[in-house]
Amino acid sequence: MIWVSWRQHRSQAIACLGVLAGLAIYAIVVGSSMRTAFGHDGLTGCLARSQGTICPAGVTAFMGEFGSEVNIAFWSVALIVPGLIGVLVGAPLIARELEYGTWRLAWSQTVTRARWLTVKLALVTGGLVVLGAAMTAVITWYRAPMDQLTGHLLHNIYDFEGLVLTAYILCAFGFAVLAGLLLRRSIPAMIAAFIPWLVIRLVVEFLLRPHFLAPVTGPQNCAANECGDGIGYVPQATGHIGDWILGQPANSTGYLYQPADRFWPFQFIEAGIFVALTAAALGATIWLLHRRAA
Amino acid sequence: MIQHDAGGSVPALRTSRLGRRYGRVWGLRDCTLEVPAGAVAALVGPNGAGKTTLLEMIIGLLEPTEGQVSVFGETSHAETAQTLARVGYVAQDHPLYRDFTVANMFRLGRAMNPSWDQTLAAGRMDALGIPLQRKIKNLSGGQRAQVSLSMALAKRAPLLVLDEPVSSLDPVARLEFMRNVMASAADADLTFLISSHVVSELERFCDWLIILADGHVQLAGPADDLLAAHQLLTVPRATPDAELPGTVIHRTGGDPPSGQHSTVLVRADAVQDRPGWQADPVSYEQLVMAYLQRRTPLRTQDDRAPAAERPGPNTKAVTR
Repeated sequence: MIWVSWRQHRSQAIACLGVLAGLAIYAIVVGSSMRTAFGHDGLTGCLARSQGTICPAGVTAFMGEFGSEVNIAFWSVALIVPGLIGVLVGAPLIARELEYGTWRLAWSQTVTRARWLTVKLALVTGGLVVLGAAMTAVITWYRAPMDQLTGHLLHNIYDFEGLVLTAYILCAFGFAVLAGLLLRRSIPAMIAAFIPWLVIRLVVEFLLRPHFLAPVTGPQNCAANECGDGIGYVPQATGHIGDWILGQPANSTGYLYQPADRFWPFQFIEAGIFVALTAAALGATIWLLHRRAA
Repeated sequence: MIQHDAGGSVPALRTSRLGRRYGRVWGLRDCTLEVPAGAVAALVGPNGAGKTTLLEMIIGLLEPTEGQVSVFGETSHAETAQTLARVGYVAQDHPLYRDFTVANMFRLGRAMNPSWDQTLAAGRMDALGIPLQRKIKNLSGGQRAQVSLSMALAKRAPLLVLDEPVSSLDPVARLEFMRNVMASAADADLTFLISSHVVSELERFCDWLIILADGHVQLAGPADDLLAAHQLLTVPRATPDAELPGTVIHRTGGDPPSGQHSTVLVRADAVQDRPGWQADPVSYEQLVMAYLQRRTPLRTQDDRAPAAERPGPNTKAVTR
């Protein structure tokens, strides 16, 4: 079954390696020039001694050169890529067997269809975990200079580091496998899985994530109505790189924020949500496929 | 060579009061039949007769709602490796993975079947001149059918189920395919159940006949015995059914339709000669067509007849 799974998903694996190679080339080119500029703008020493407040010109120059590309354009593209990978790999897994009638061949050998599916899911999921981890490693290396200025709790950074990128891929994959069984067609299954994946992804990011842990209320470092965005990504309210300012609570002069060092707890919570959704979708698929025979 | 008398020996296939319901509709009901070991059995029926449902329950792809299937005496249960191992299956249109080579397909067979016979599979390809390194998508329809059959045979299952194996093939490929089936049946002591619309091929190669319509078995048994048990009568048009011997299976107005005579296919062992009547032996195709064309429910005279041979309520007209 391991060979069978490999043979059937070989071209997908090669395509995924192609995506990874493209990402790596981009990361090396931009990441190297970012490193050069980082030293050139004198940021290493500056950040060692302050939160960027003593070298505003250097921070501004660096952000001007890379900020929009690395923090905004990259996010916009990379937002959908994990979902696309997940649905492209997941939707045909069962749907293609149903489309071409090969299920009659696959499921009439001396292997029950539940086992057939379980083995395939285990192997393909394993492959996607490796892919997600590799993409995360590449992006984390590429962003390292920028992260020193931004921290990595802010949402256009947080989404590609740690655990969540892999969890996003798995969730889209799980939805697509289930949709493939229910719709019996690969392309409709891709669409039917991608849309809810994107909705959940955005709902979690913008509605749930700010409340994963109770926000901290901090004193203001600036007069009310005068707190700007600070230099670069250093919030003026806390004066600490990477803090995520949520806003001002009613009837208070302080600021609500999530401290920068909550990155890992947040990653575990969010990855947990998406892995649980994956497990639910794949569990339902195995159960439904098994029940089809009953 | 083939034992039609199953008395004492365990039949290759037995279904008893087998039924499968989809929601509130029965796809197959009260299906009792036996196929003796070594037989090459034809399963004939119009589209929608319940053939696929029956085959899927025999193979172990579908669990019966009621009744049971046993293969060589062992009760089948869907979704168990034991049941799947006992039946080889060639599905309709011979589904194979298009971008696999023949060797890849056989490797899949080896990976998914503990008793896989690689020598048999590769030897058959060699004999047929099909290169193992050729991709499935570059094979002809006849070659794909042979690859499918070889995979089913190499599984080393004692019972093989073939669903419409020749309907997509040209006449030469049909003949070659069926000759291969017959050779395998003789060499390896296998039992075949072949569902088909191609009555001419079945007549030449199958010694056991099962006719299925409207979710019920209409007729089942050794083909020669069934032919001997039916007569084709040509009688005056005015003769009522009640005067005819045996059970009337199918009656036509005669040829031309406005003529003076009716042609009636009856189930009766012997027919007394009467003036104006003519009795002829029944051909295989006439027998099959008569049962498939029955449109009104008919009671057999003997209600104690085995369920396998009891005609079902034929409320749904034959679809073709």
